[in-house]
Amino acid sequence: MLETNNVTINFGGLIAVNNVSIKVQPHKITALIGPNGAGKTTLFNCISGVYKPTSGEVILDGQHLEGKRGFQINAAGIARTYQVINLFWKMSVLENVLVGMNSRLKASFWDSLLSTKKKREEERRIHERAHELLQFVHLDEYADAPAASLSYGKQRLLEIVRGLASDPKVILLDEPAAGMNTAEKAELDILLNKIIEMGVTILVVEHDMKLIMDVSDYIYVLCNGMLLAEGDPDKIQKNPEVIAAYLGGDE
Amino acid sequence: MNILNIQKKLPLIVGLAVLLCALPFLVRFVAGNQYPLLIMCIILIYIIAVSGLDILFGYSGQISLGHAAFFTLGAYTSGLLNIYFNLPLYLTIPAGTILATLIGALLAYPASKLKFHFLSLATVAFGEITYYFLYKSPGGFTRDFKGINVISIGFLGEDYLKWYFFLLAFVVIVLLGKTSLIKSRTGRAFISIRENTHAADGMGINVRKNKIIAFAVSAFLTGLAGALYVHLIKYISPETSMQKQSVLFLTMLLFGGTASIMGTIMGVVCIEVLMEAIRPLQEYQMLFYGVLLLIVIVALPGGIYGGLKNVAQNIRKAALKRLGRNTDNQKKVEKGGEA
Repeated sequence: MLETNNVTINFGGLIAVNNVSIKVQPHKITALIGPNGAGKTTLFNCISGVYKPTSGEVILDGQHLEGKRGFQINAAGIARTYQVINLFWKMSVLENVLVGMNSRLKASFWDSLLSTKKKREEERRIHERAHELLQFVHLDEYADAPAASLSYGKQRLLEIVRGLASDPKVILLDEPAAGMNTAEKAELDILLNKIIEMGVTILVVEHDMKLIMDVSDYIYVLCNGMLLAEGDPDKIQKNPEVIAAYLGGDE
Repeated sequence: MNILNIQKKLPLIVGLAVLLCALPFLVRFVAGNQYPLLIMCIILIYIIAVSGLDILFGYSGQISLGHAAFFTLGAYTSGLLNIYFNLPLYLTIPAGTILATLIGALLAYPASKLKFHFLSLATVAFGEITYYFLYKSPGGFTRDFKGINVISIGFLGEDYLKWYFFLLAFVVIVLLGKTSLIKSRTGRAFISIRENTHAADGMGINVRKNKIIAFAVSAFLTGLAGALYVHLIKYISPETSMQKQSVLFLTMLLFGGTASIMGTIMGVVCIEVLMEAIRPLQEYQMLFYGVLLLIVIVALPGGIYGGLKNVAQNIRKAALKRLGRNTDNQKKVEKGGEA
Protein backbone atom coordinates (compact mmCIF):
# COMPACT_ATOMS: atom_id res chain seq x y z
CA MET A 1 0.00 0.00 0.00
CA LEU A 2 2.40 2.68 1.22
CA GLU A 3 6.05 1.92 0.63
CA THR A 4 9.41 3.61 0.60
CA ASN A 5 12.09 2.24 -1.71
CA ASN A 6 15.72 2.87 -0.77
CA VAL A 7 14.98 6.29 0.66
CA THR A 8 18.05 8.32 1.60
CA ILE A 9 17.90 11.76 3.17
CA ASN A 10 21.11 13.71 3.29
CA PHE A 11 21.37 17.01 5.17
CA GLY A 12 24.54 18.58 3.76
CA GLY A 13 26.72 15.54 4.44
CA LEU A 14 24.81 14.20 7.43
CA ILE A 15 22.94 11.12 6.35
CA ALA A 16 19.79 11.11 8.49
CA VAL A 17 18.07 8.25 6.70
CA ASN A 18 20.14 5.74 4.77
CA ASN A 19 18.64 3.49 2.12
CA VAL A 20 15.48 2.61 4.02
CA SER A 21 12.74 0.51 2.44
CA ILE A 22 9.57 -0.17 4.37
CA LYS A 23 6.19 -1.55 3.34
CA VAL A 24 2.99 -0.64 5.12
CA GLN A 25 0.31 -3.31 4.72
CA PRO A 26 -3.29 -2.13 4.30
CA HIS A 27 -5.59 -2.25 7.36
CA LYS A 28 -2.67 -3.06 9.64
CA ILE A 29 -0.74 -1.12 12.25
CA THR A 30 2.87 -0.80 11.23
CA ALA A 31 5.30 0.65 13.78
CA LEU A 32 8.59 2.40 13.37
CA ILE A 33 10.79 2.25 16.46
CA GLY A 34 14.38 2.98 17.33
CA PRO A 35 16.59 4.98 19.68
CA ASN A 36 16.53 8.78 19.67
CA GLY A 37 18.08 10.26 16.55
CA ALA A 38 17.53 7.09 14.54
CA GLY A 39 15.76 9.05 11.78
CA LYS A 40 12.18 7.99 12.45
CA THR A 41 10.67 11.46 12.38
CA THR A 42 12.88 12.42 9.43
CA LEU A 43 11.46 9.49 7.48
CA PHE A 44 7.94 10.62 8.49
CA ASN A 45 8.67 14.13 7.31
CA CYS A 46 9.91 12.73 4.05
CA ILE A 47 6.75 10.67 3.48
CA SER A 48 4.51 13.63 4.35
CA GLY A 49 6.33 16.06 2.09
CA VAL A 50 8.20 18.26 4.58
CA TYR A 51 11.54 17.02 3.18
CA LYS A 52 12.33 15.80 -0.28
CA PRO A 53 14.30 12.54 -0.26
CA THR A 54 17.85 12.87 -1.65
CA SER A 55 17.21 9.59 -3.45
CA GLY A 56 14.65 6.81 -3.38
CA GLU A 57 10.91 6.58 -3.87
CA VAL A 58 7.77 7.01 -1.79
CA ILE A 59 4.79 5.23 -3.32
CA LEU A 60 1.15 5.15 -2.23
CA ASP A 61 -1.00 2.66 -4.18
CA GLY A 62 1.24 2.98 -7.22
CA GLN A 63 1.36 6.79 -7.09
CA HIS A 64 4.79 8.39 -6.70
CA LEU A 65 4.84 10.95 -3.90
CA GLU A 66 8.52 11.81 -3.46
CA GLY A 67 9.17 15.53 -3.87
CA LYS A 68 5.48 16.48 -3.73
CA ARG A 69 4.43 19.25 -1.37
CA GLY A 70 2.66 18.59 1.93
CA PHE A 71 -0.82 19.62 0.84
CA GLN A 72 -0.60 17.43 -2.28
CA ILE A 73 0.40 14.42 -0.21
CA ASN A 74 -2.52 15.08 2.14
CA ALA A 75 -4.85 15.16 -0.86
CA ALA A 76 -3.34 11.90 -2.13
CA GLY A 77 -4.51 10.22 1.10
CA ILE A 78 -1.80 10.50 3.75
CA ALA A 79 -2.68 12.36 6.95
CA ARG A 80 -0.32 12.92 9.87
CA THR A 81 0.10 14.09 13.43
CA TYR A 82 3.15 15.77 14.89
CA GLN A 83 5.64 14.89 17.58
CA VAL A 84 5.45 18.43 18.92
CA ILE A 85 1.74 19.25 18.93
CA ASN A 86 0.93 21.51 16.00
CA LEU A 87 -2.69 22.51 16.46
CA PHE A 88 -4.25 25.78 15.34
CA TRP A 89 -4.33 27.12 18.88
CA LYS A 90 -6.72 30.03 18.60
CA MET A 91 -9.22 28.15 16.46
CA SER A 92 -11.94 26.12 18.16
CA VAL A 93 -11.65 22.37 18.50
CA LEU A 94 -14.35 22.00 15.84
CA GLU A 95 -12.61 24.38 13.43
CA ASN A 96 -9.39 22.42 13.77
CA VAL A 97 -11.25 19.35 12.51
CA LEU A 98 -12.88 21.39 9.72
CA VAL A 99 -9.46 22.58 8.52
CA GLY A 100 -8.42 18.93 8.39
CA MET A 101 -11.19 18.27 5.86
CA ASN A 102 -9.90 20.89 3.45
CA SER A 103 -8.61 18.60 0.73
CA ARG A 104 -11.99 16.86 0.42
CA LEU A 105 -14.05 20.04 -0.02
CA LYS A 106 -15.61 21.08 -3.29
CA ALA A 107 -16.75 24.68 -2.69
CA SER A 108 -14.77 27.16 -4.77
CA PHE A 109 -13.59 30.63 -3.73
CA TRP A 110 -16.70 32.15 -5.33
CA ASP A 111 -18.98 29.67 -3.56
CA SER A 112 -17.33 30.72 -0.31
CA LEU A 113 -17.64 34.43 -1.02
CA LEU A 114 -21.25 34.34 -2.17
CA SER A 115 -22.48 31.65 0.27
CA THR A 116 -24.02 29.68 -2.57
CA LYS A 117 -26.29 26.73 -1.95
CA LYS A 118 -23.36 24.43 -2.71
CA LYS A 119 -21.28 26.03 0.06
CA ARG A 120 -24.10 26.06 2.61
CA GLU A 121 -24.93 22.41 2.01
CA GLU A 122 -21.28 21.41 2.19
CA GLU A 123 -20.77 23.37 5.40
CA ARG A 124 -23.79 21.71 7.01
CA ARG A 125 -22.53 18.29 5.98
CA ILE A 126 -18.96 18.82 7.22
CA HIS A 127 -20.11 20.34 10.51
CA GLU A 128 -22.14 17.17 11.15
CA ARG A 129 -19.20 15.01 10.15
CA ALA A 130 -16.81 17.00 12.36
CA HIS A 131 -19.10 16.52 15.38
CA GLU A 132 -19.21 12.78 14.63
CA LEU A 133 -15.43 12.64 14.54
CA LEU A 134 -15.19 14.55 17.81
CA GLN A 135 -17.68 12.15 19.42
CA PHE A 136 -15.45 9.35 18.21
CA VAL A 137 -12.67 10.56 20.56
CA HIS A 138 -15.05 11.98 23.21
CA LEU A 139 -14.10 15.60 22.51
CA ASP A 140 -17.49 16.80 21.29
CA GLU A 141 -18.27 18.62 24.54
CA TYR A 142 -15.24 20.83 23.90
CA ALA A 143 -16.20 21.56 20.27
CA ASP A 144 -16.43 25.33 20.74
CA ALA A 145 -13.48 25.73 23.10
CA PRO A 146 -10.18 26.98 21.73
CA ALA A 147 -7.76 24.15 20.98
CA ALA A 148 -5.20 25.68 23.35
CA SER A 149 -7.53 25.12 26.32
CA LEU A 150 -7.47 21.30 26.02
CA SER A 151 -5.30 19.15 28.24
CA TYR A 152 -2.16 17.70 26.68
CA GLY A 153 -3.58 14.23 26.15
CA LYS A 154 -6.77 15.65 24.59
CA GLN A 155 -4.67 17.82 22.28
CA ARG A 156 -3.05 14.62 21.00
CA LEU A 157 -6.49 13.11 20.37
CA LEU A 158 -7.55 16.25 18.53
CA GLU A 159 -4.49 15.98 16.30
CA ILE A 160 -5.49 12.42 15.44
CA VAL A 161 -9.09 13.32 14.50
CA ARG A 162 -7.88 16.36 12.59
CA GLY A 163 -5.80 13.92 10.56
CA LEU A 164 -8.71 11.49 10.15
CA ALA A 165 -10.91 14.35 8.95
CA SER A 166 -9.27 14.22 5.51
CA ASP A 167 -10.52 10.61 5.05
CA PRO A 168 -6.96 9.37 4.56
CA LYS A 169 -5.88 5.96 3.34
CA VAL A 170 -2.95 6.05 5.74
CA ILE A 171 -2.41 8.11 8.88
CA LEU A 172 1.09 8.72 10.20
CA LEU A 173 1.12 9.06 13.98
CA ASP A 174 4.29 10.59 15.42
CA GLU A 175 4.54 9.58 19.10
CA PRO A 176 0.79 9.69 19.81
CA ALA A 177 1.25 8.48 23.40
CA ALA A 178 3.83 11.11 24.41
CA GLY A 179 2.57 13.06 27.41
CA MET A 180 -0.40 10.78 27.99
CA ASN A 181 -1.15 9.21 31.36
CA THR A 182 -1.75 5.50 31.80
CA ALA A 183 -5.52 5.75 31.41
CA GLU A 184 -5.18 7.82 28.28
CA LYS A 185 -2.68 5.32 26.85
CA ALA A 186 -5.16 2.51 27.40
CA GLU A 187 -7.78 4.53 25.54
CA LEU A 188 -5.31 5.20 22.75
CA ASP A 189 -4.78 1.46 22.37
CA ILE A 190 -8.52 1.04 21.79
CA LEU A 191 -8.64 4.10 19.54
CA LEU A 192 -5.89 2.77 17.24
CA ASN A 193 -7.87 -0.43 16.73
CA LYS A 194 -11.02 1.58 16.03
CA ILE A 195 -9.14 3.57 13.39
CA ILE A 196 -8.18 0.30 11.69
CA GLU A 197 -11.85 -0.75 11.78
CA MET A 198 -12.68 2.52 9.99
CA GLY A 199 -10.56 1.24 7.13
CA VAL A 200 -7.60 3.56 7.73
CA THR A 201 -4.09 2.12 7.77
CA ILE A 202 -1.68 3.26 10.49
CA LEU A 203 2.05 3.91 10.48
CA VAL A 204 3.16 4.87 13.96
CA VAL A 205 6.37 6.09 15.58
CA GLU A 206 6.35 5.51 19.32
CA HIS A 207 8.70 5.11 22.27
CA ASP A 208 6.18 3.42 24.52
CA MET A 209 7.18 -0.23 24.04
CA LYS A 210 4.21 -1.68 25.88
CA LEU A 211 1.80 0.10 23.56
CA ILE A 212 3.81 -0.80 20.46
CA MET A 213 4.09 -4.49 21.32
CA ASP A 214 0.34 -4.55 22.11
CA VAL A 215 -1.01 -2.93 18.99
CA SER A 216 1.43 -3.38 16.12
CA ASP A 217 1.11 -6.00 13.46
CA TYR A 218 4.56 -5.40 12.04
CA ILE A 219 7.58 -3.46 13.31
CA TYR A 220 10.53 -1.80 11.62
CA VAL A 221 13.53 -0.87 13.77
CA LEU A 222 15.67 2.06 12.70
CA CYS A 223 19.11 2.77 14.13
CA ASN A 224 21.50 5.50 12.99
CA GLY A 225 19.39 6.07 9.90
CA MET A 226 19.53 2.45 8.79
CA LEU A 227 17.04 -0.37 8.98
CA LEU A 228 18.23 -2.66 11.77
CA ALA A 229 15.48 -5.24 11.88
CA GLU A 230 11.90 -5.94 10.91
CA GLY A 231 9.27 -8.44 11.89
CA ASP A 232 6.28 -9.07 14.11
CA PRO A 233 6.42 -7.96 17.77
CA ASP A 234 7.51 -11.37 19.10
CA LYS A 235 10.39 -11.60 16.68
CA ILE A 236 11.54 -8.03 17.40
CA GLN A 237 11.46 -8.54 21.16
CA LYS A 238 13.79 -11.51 20.85
CA ASN A 239 16.18 -9.93 18.31
CA PRO A 240 19.60 -9.52 20.02
CA GLU A 241 20.62 -6.63 17.75
CA VAL A 242 17.49 -4.68 18.70
CA ILE A 243 18.06 -5.34 22.39
CA ALA A 244 21.67 -4.19 22.01
CA ALA A 245 20.63 -1.00 20.23
CA TYR A 246 18.16 -0.15 22.98
CA LEU A 247 20.32 -1.09 25.95
CA GLY A 248 23.53 0.43 24.62
CA GLY A 249 25.15 -2.67 23.13
CA ASP A 250 27.98 -4.86 24.36
CA GLU A 251 31.39 -4.29 22.87
CA MET B 1 -31.42 26.51 13.34
CA ASN B 2 -30.02 29.13 11.02
CA ILE B 3 -33.44 30.69 10.59
CA LEU B 4 -33.93 30.73 14.35
CA ASN B 5 -30.68 32.63 14.73
CA ILE B 6 -31.73 35.23 12.22
CA GLN B 7 -35.10 35.65 13.92
CA LYS B 8 -33.39 36.21 17.24
CA LYS B 9 -31.10 38.82 15.76
CA LEU B 10 -33.82 40.51 13.73
CA PRO B 11 -34.63 43.28 16.25
CA LEU B 12 -30.93 44.07 16.53
CA ILE B 13 -30.51 44.27 12.75
CA VAL B 14 -33.59 46.47 12.31
CA GLY B 15 -32.49 48.72 15.17
CA LEU B 16 -29.02 49.09 13.69
CA ALA B 17 -30.43 49.87 10.25
CA VAL B 18 -32.74 52.57 11.67
CA LEU B 19 -29.87 54.08 13.63
CA LEU B 20 -27.53 54.12 10.62
CA CYS B 21 -30.23 55.75 8.47
CA ALA B 22 -31.17 58.35 11.09
CA LEU B 23 -27.60 59.20 12.07
CA PRO B 24 -26.64 61.43 9.11
CA PHE B 25 -29.86 63.48 9.39
CA LEU B 26 -29.24 63.92 13.09
CA VAL B 27 -25.61 64.90 12.53
CA ARG B 28 -26.51 67.40 9.85
CA PHE B 29 -29.23 68.88 12.06
CA VAL B 30 -26.91 69.26 15.04
CA ALA B 31 -23.84 70.49 13.15
CA GLY B 32 -25.73 72.69 10.72
CA ASN B 33 -23.29 72.00 7.89
CA GLN B 34 -22.06 69.21 5.67
CA TYR B 35 -18.57 68.78 7.10
CA PRO B 36 -19.33 66.05 9.68
CA LEU B 37 -21.14 64.16 6.93
CA LEU B 38 -17.96 64.23 4.85
CA ILE B 39 -16.06 62.74 7.79
CA MET B 40 -18.71 60.02 8.06
CA CYS B 41 -18.25 59.25 4.37
CA ILE B 42 -14.49 59.00 4.85
CA ILE B 43 -15.06 56.69 7.80
CA LEU B 44 -17.18 54.41 5.57
CA ILE B 45 -14.45 54.36 2.93
CA TYR B 46 -11.78 53.59 5.51
CA ILE B 47 -13.91 50.74 6.86
CA ILE B 48 -13.69 49.15 3.40
CA ALA B 49 -9.94 49.81 3.16
CA VAL B 50 -9.14 48.52 6.65
CA SER B 51 -11.39 45.46 6.11
CA GLY B 52 -9.04 44.68 3.26
CA LEU B 53 -6.00 44.98 5.50
CA ASP B 54 -7.79 42.83 8.10
CA ILE B 55 -8.22 39.95 5.62
CA LEU B 56 -4.48 39.98 5.00
CA PHE B 57 -3.04 40.83 8.40
CA GLY B 58 -5.80 39.96 10.88
CA TYR B 59 -6.91 36.65 9.39
CA SER B 60 -3.98 35.42 7.30
CA GLY B 61 -1.20 36.81 9.51
CA GLN B 62 0.61 38.47 6.58
CA ILE B 63 1.69 41.95 7.55
CA SER B 64 1.55 44.79 5.06
CA LEU B 65 3.11 48.18 5.68
CA GLY B 66 2.40 49.35 2.15
CA HIS B 67 -1.35 49.10 1.93
CA ALA B 68 -1.79 52.77 1.07
CA ALA B 69 -0.23 51.85 -2.29
CA PHE B 70 -3.30 49.74 -3.19
CA PHE B 71 -5.51 52.60 -2.06
CA THR B 72 -3.77 55.09 -4.37
CA LEU B 73 -3.55 52.55 -7.19
CA GLY B 74 -7.33 52.26 -7.17
CA ALA B 75 -7.72 56.02 -6.88
CA TYR B 76 -5.22 57.06 -9.57
CA THR B 77 -6.35 54.41 -12.05
CA SER B 78 -9.96 55.48 -11.81
CA GLY B 79 -9.09 59.19 -11.92
CA LEU B 80 -6.59 58.98 -14.78
CA LEU B 81 -8.77 56.73 -16.96
CA ASN B 82 -11.50 59.34 -16.64
CA ILE B 83 -9.16 62.25 -17.33
CA TYR B 84 -7.35 60.80 -20.35
CA PHE B 85 -9.97 58.61 -21.97
CA ASN B 86 -13.11 60.27 -20.68
CA LEU B 87 -14.43 56.89 -19.58
CA PRO B 88 -17.50 56.93 -17.35
CA LEU B 89 -16.89 56.35 -13.64
CA TYR B 90 -18.97 53.17 -13.54
CA LEU B 91 -16.19 51.70 -15.68
CA THR B 92 -13.16 53.44 -14.16
CA ILE B 93 -13.94 52.60 -10.54
CA PRO B 94 -14.12 48.83 -11.28
CA ALA B 95 -11.01 49.20 -13.46
CA GLY B 96 -9.08 50.80 -10.59
CA THR B 97 -10.25 48.09 -8.22
CA ILE B 98 -9.27 45.32 -10.62
CA LEU B 99 -5.82 46.80 -11.28
CA ALA B 100 -5.16 47.02 -7.54
CA THR B 101 -6.29 43.39 -7.20
CA LEU B 102 -4.01 42.21 -10.00
CA ILE B 103 -1.01 44.05 -8.60
CA GLY B 104 -1.83 42.64 -5.17
CA ALA B 105 -1.83 39.11 -6.58
CA LEU B 106 1.39 39.82 -8.47
CA LEU B 107 3.09 41.18 -5.35
CA ALA B 108 1.90 38.10 -3.47
CA TYR B 109 3.93 35.80 -5.72
CA PRO B 110 7.32 36.80 -4.28
CA ALA B 111 5.82 37.97 -0.98
CA SER B 112 4.26 34.57 -0.22
CA LYS B 113 7.77 33.23 0.35
CA LEU B 114 8.62 35.90 2.91
CA LYS B 115 7.86 35.90 6.60
CA PHE B 116 7.50 38.49 9.37
CA HIS B 117 9.99 41.35 9.11
CA PHE B 118 11.12 40.34 5.63
CA LEU B 119 7.54 40.62 4.43
CA SER B 120 7.05 43.95 6.17
CA LEU B 121 10.21 45.32 4.52
CA ALA B 122 9.05 44.11 1.11
CA THR B 123 5.67 45.80 1.56
CA VAL B 124 7.32 49.03 2.76
CA ALA B 125 9.41 48.93 -0.40
CA PHE B 126 6.30 48.37 -2.51
CA GLY B 127 4.66 51.41 -0.93
CA GLU B 128 7.73 53.56 -1.52
CA ILE B 129 8.05 52.44 -5.15
CA THR B 130 4.42 53.39 -5.76
CA TYR B 131 4.94 56.75 -4.09
CA TYR B 132 8.01 57.65 -6.16
CA PHE B 133 6.40 56.38 -9.33
CA LEU B 134 3.40 58.67 -8.82
CA TYR B 135 5.63 61.52 -7.66
CA LYS B 136 7.84 61.43 -10.74
CA SER B 137 6.14 59.38 -13.41
CA PRO B 138 7.44 58.77 -16.96
CA GLY B 139 6.33 61.76 -19.02
CA GLY B 140 4.52 63.15 -16.01
CA PHE B 141 1.29 61.32 -16.84
CA THR B 142 0.28 61.22 -13.18
CA ARG B 143 0.77 65.02 -12.92
CA ASP B 144 3.52 64.18 -10.43
CA PHE B 145 3.59 66.04 -7.09
CA LYS B 146 0.69 68.31 -8.07
CA GLY B 147 -1.74 65.41 -7.86
CA ILE B 148 -4.89 65.07 -9.97
CA ASN B 149 -8.24 66.81 -9.85
CA VAL B 150 -11.08 64.47 -10.76
CA ILE B 151 -14.83 64.65 -11.10
CA SER B 152 -17.37 63.50 -8.58
CA ILE B 153 -19.82 60.68 -9.25
CA GLY B 154 -22.53 62.42 -11.31
CA PHE B 155 -25.73 61.54 -9.46
CA LEU B 156 -24.13 62.12 -6.06
CA GLY B 157 -22.38 65.43 -6.72
CA GLU B 158 -21.38 67.14 -3.53
CA ASP B 159 -24.41 66.02 -1.58
CA TYR B 160 -22.67 64.11 1.21
CA LEU B 161 -25.99 62.80 2.46
CA LYS B 162 -26.43 60.92 -0.81
CA TRP B 163 -22.77 59.86 -0.68
CA TYR B 164 -23.31 58.52 2.82
CA PHE B 165 -26.07 56.15 1.73
CA PHE B 166 -24.19 55.19 -1.43
CA LEU B 167 -21.09 54.28 0.61
CA LEU B 168 -23.15 52.63 3.35
CA ALA B 169 -24.51 50.22 0.73
CA PHE B 170 -20.93 49.37 -0.28
CA VAL B 171 -19.89 48.83 3.34
CA VAL B 172 -22.84 46.52 4.01
CA ILE B 173 -22.04 44.44 0.90
CA VAL B 174 -18.33 44.34 1.74
CA LEU B 175 -18.91 43.27 5.34
CA LEU B 176 -21.44 40.60 4.29
CA GLY B 177 -18.92 39.28 1.77
CA LYS B 178 -16.14 39.36 4.35
CA THR B 179 -18.25 37.45 6.89
CA SER B 180 -19.25 34.88 4.32
CA LEU B 181 -15.66 34.38 3.17
CA ILE B 182 -14.28 34.09 6.69
CA LYS B 183 -16.90 31.49 7.64
CA SER B 184 -15.90 29.22 4.79
CA ARG B 185 -13.06 26.87 3.91
CA THR B 186 -11.14 29.84 2.51
CA GLY B 187 -11.43 31.77 5.77
CA ARG B 188 -10.42 28.72 7.77
CA ALA B 189 -7.45 28.25 5.45
CA PHE B 190 -6.39 31.88 6.05
CA ILE B 191 -6.61 31.50 9.83
CA SER B 192 -4.82 28.15 9.84
CA ILE B 193 -1.93 29.73 7.90
CA ARG B 194 -1.75 32.49 10.51
CA GLU B 195 -1.86 30.00 13.36
CA ASN B 196 0.59 27.43 12.05
CA THR B 197 1.80 27.53 8.45
CA HIS B 198 3.64 24.23 8.74
CA ALA B 199 0.61 22.32 10.02
CA ALA B 200 -1.68 24.03 7.48
CA ASP B 201 0.45 22.55 4.70
CA GLY B 202 0.29 19.12 6.35
CA MET B 203 -3.52 19.37 6.60
CA GLY B 204 -3.89 19.77 2.85
CA ILE B 205 -3.96 23.55 2.56
CA ASN B 206 -2.15 25.05 -0.38
CA VAL B 207 -0.39 27.76 1.60
CA ARG B 208 1.01 29.67 -1.36
CA LYS B 209 -2.29 29.76 -3.24
CA ASN B 210 -4.22 30.92 -0.18
CA LYS B 211 -1.68 33.64 0.60
CA ILE B 212 -2.08 34.91 -2.96
CA ILE B 213 -5.88 34.84 -2.60
CA ALA B 214 -5.60 36.77 0.68
CA PHE B 215 -3.37 39.39 -0.94
CA ALA B 216 -5.71 39.73 -3.91
CA VAL B 217 -8.90 40.04 -1.81
CA SER B 218 -7.15 42.50 0.46
CA ALA B 219 -5.91 44.64 -2.44
CA PHE B 220 -9.38 44.45 -4.02
CA LEU B 221 -11.06 46.00 -0.99
CA THR B 222 -8.39 48.62 -0.35
CA GLY B 223 -8.25 49.48 -4.06
CA LEU B 224 -12.06 49.81 -4.18
CA ALA B 225 -11.92 52.13 -1.18
CA GLY B 226 -9.30 54.27 -2.94
CA ALA B 227 -11.31 54.44 -6.16
CA LEU B 228 -14.38 55.62 -4.22
CA TYR B 229 -12.33 58.04 -2.11
CA VAL B 230 -10.84 59.89 -5.06
CA HIS B 231 -14.27 60.79 -6.44
CA LEU B 232 -15.56 61.85 -3.03
CA ILE B 233 -12.63 64.19 -2.36
CA LYS B 234 -12.20 64.99 -6.09
CA TYR B 235 -8.46 65.24 -5.63
CA ILE B 236 -5.55 62.94 -4.86
CA SER B 237 -1.80 63.47 -4.65
CA PRO B 238 1.10 61.04 -4.28
CA GLU B 239 1.24 61.94 -0.59
CA THR B 240 -1.70 59.58 -0.01
CA SER B 241 0.53 56.62 -0.81
CA MET B 242 3.15 57.67 1.71
CA GLN B 243 4.11 55.50 4.62
CA LYS B 244 1.94 57.67 6.86
CA GLN B 245 -1.28 56.45 5.24
CA SER B 246 -0.25 52.79 5.48
CA VAL B 247 0.55 53.28 9.14
CA LEU B 248 -2.83 54.96 9.60
CA PHE B 249 -4.61 51.85 8.24
CA LEU B 250 -2.55 49.59 10.46
CA THR B 251 -3.16 51.79 13.51
CA MET B 252 -6.91 51.71 12.88
CA LEU B 253 -6.87 47.92 12.55
CA LEU B 254 -4.73 47.25 15.62
CA PHE B 255 -6.51 49.87 17.72
CA GLY B 256 -9.93 48.37 16.96
CA GLY B 257 -8.81 44.77 17.09
CA THR B 258 -7.76 42.38 14.32
CA ALA B 259 -9.70 39.49 12.81
CA SER B 260 -13.20 40.78 13.50
CA ILE B 261 -15.87 42.86 11.82
CA MET B 262 -16.58 45.02 14.87
CA GLY B 263 -12.90 45.66 15.60
CA THR B 264 -12.35 47.16 12.16
CA ILE B 265 -15.38 49.43 12.48
CA MET B 266 -14.51 50.58 16.01
CA GLY B 267 -10.87 51.22 15.12
CA VAL B 268 -11.71 53.30 12.05
CA VAL B 269 -14.36 55.36 13.85
CA CYS B 270 -12.21 56.03 16.94
CA ILE B 271 -9.02 56.95 15.08
CA GLU B 272 -10.73 59.05 12.42
CA VAL B 273 -12.72 61.02 15.02
CA LEU B 274 -9.58 61.43 17.12
CA MET B 275 -7.59 62.65 14.11
CA GLU B 276 -10.30 65.21 13.37
CA ALA B 277 -10.21 66.37 16.98
CA ILE B 278 -6.47 66.96 16.86
CA ARG B 279 -6.41 68.42 13.36
CA PRO B 280 -4.59 71.60 14.53
CA LEU B 281 -1.70 69.37 15.61
CA GLN B 282 -1.48 67.64 12.26
CA GLU B 283 2.32 67.83 12.14
CA TYR B 284 2.43 65.46 15.07
CA GLN B 285 0.12 62.90 13.40
CA MET B 286 2.82 60.22 13.18
CA LEU B 287 3.65 60.77 16.83
CA PHE B 288 0.02 60.12 17.73
CA TYR B 289 -0.07 56.92 15.67
CA GLY B 290 3.08 55.77 17.38
CA VAL B 291 1.81 56.42 20.88
CA LEU B 292 -1.58 54.86 20.11
CA LEU B 293 0.04 51.75 18.64
CA LEU B 294 2.28 51.43 21.65
CA ILE B 295 -0.65 51.73 24.06
CA VAL B 296 -2.65 49.15 22.14
CA ILE B 297 0.18 46.66 21.81
CA VAL B 298 1.21 46.90 25.46
CA ALA B 299 -2.16 47.32 27.19
CA LEU B 300 -4.77 45.96 24.78
CA PRO B 301 -3.34 43.25 22.54
CA GLY B 302 -6.83 42.47 21.21
CA GLY B 303 -7.59 46.12 20.44
CA ILE B 304 -10.51 47.93 22.03
CA TYR B 305 -12.97 45.38 20.68
CA GLY B 306 -10.94 42.56 22.22
CA GLY B 307 -10.76 44.51 25.47
CA LEU B 308 -14.51 45.10 25.55
CA LYS B 309 -15.15 41.43 24.83
CA ASN B 310 -12.96 40.45 27.77
CA VAL B 311 -14.78 42.87 30.08
CA ALA B 312 -18.16 41.51 28.90
CA GLN B 313 -16.99 37.96 29.47
CA ASN B 314 -15.77 38.74 32.97
CA ILE B 315 -19.06 40.42 33.83
CA ARG B 316 -20.98 37.42 32.52
CA LYS B 317 -18.77 35.04 34.49
CA ALA B 318 -19.23 37.07 37.66
CA ALA B 319 -22.99 37.18 37.12
CA LEU B 320 -23.11 33.43 36.54
CA LYS B 321 -21.16 32.85 39.70
CA ARG B 322 -23.56 34.94 41.74
CA LEU B 323 -26.62 33.35 40.15
CA GLY B 324 -25.71 29.72 40.36
CA ARG B 325 -22.77 29.12 42.62
CA ASN B 326 -23.96 25.56 43.09
CA THR B 327 -24.12 24.56 39.44
CA ASP B 328 -20.76 26.19 38.85
CA ASN B 329 -19.17 24.21 41.63
CA GLN B 330 -20.67 21.05 40.26
CA LYS B 331 -19.09 21.72 36.91
CA LYS B 332 -15.72 22.28 38.53
CA VAL B 333 -15.94 18.96 40.33
CA GLU B 334 -16.83 17.22 37.08
CA LYS B 335 -13.88 18.78 35.30
CA GLY B 336 -11.53 18.00 38.16
CA GLY B 337 -12.64 14.38 38.05
CA GLU B 338 -11.78 14.05 34.40
CA ALA B 339 -8.29 15.49 34.67
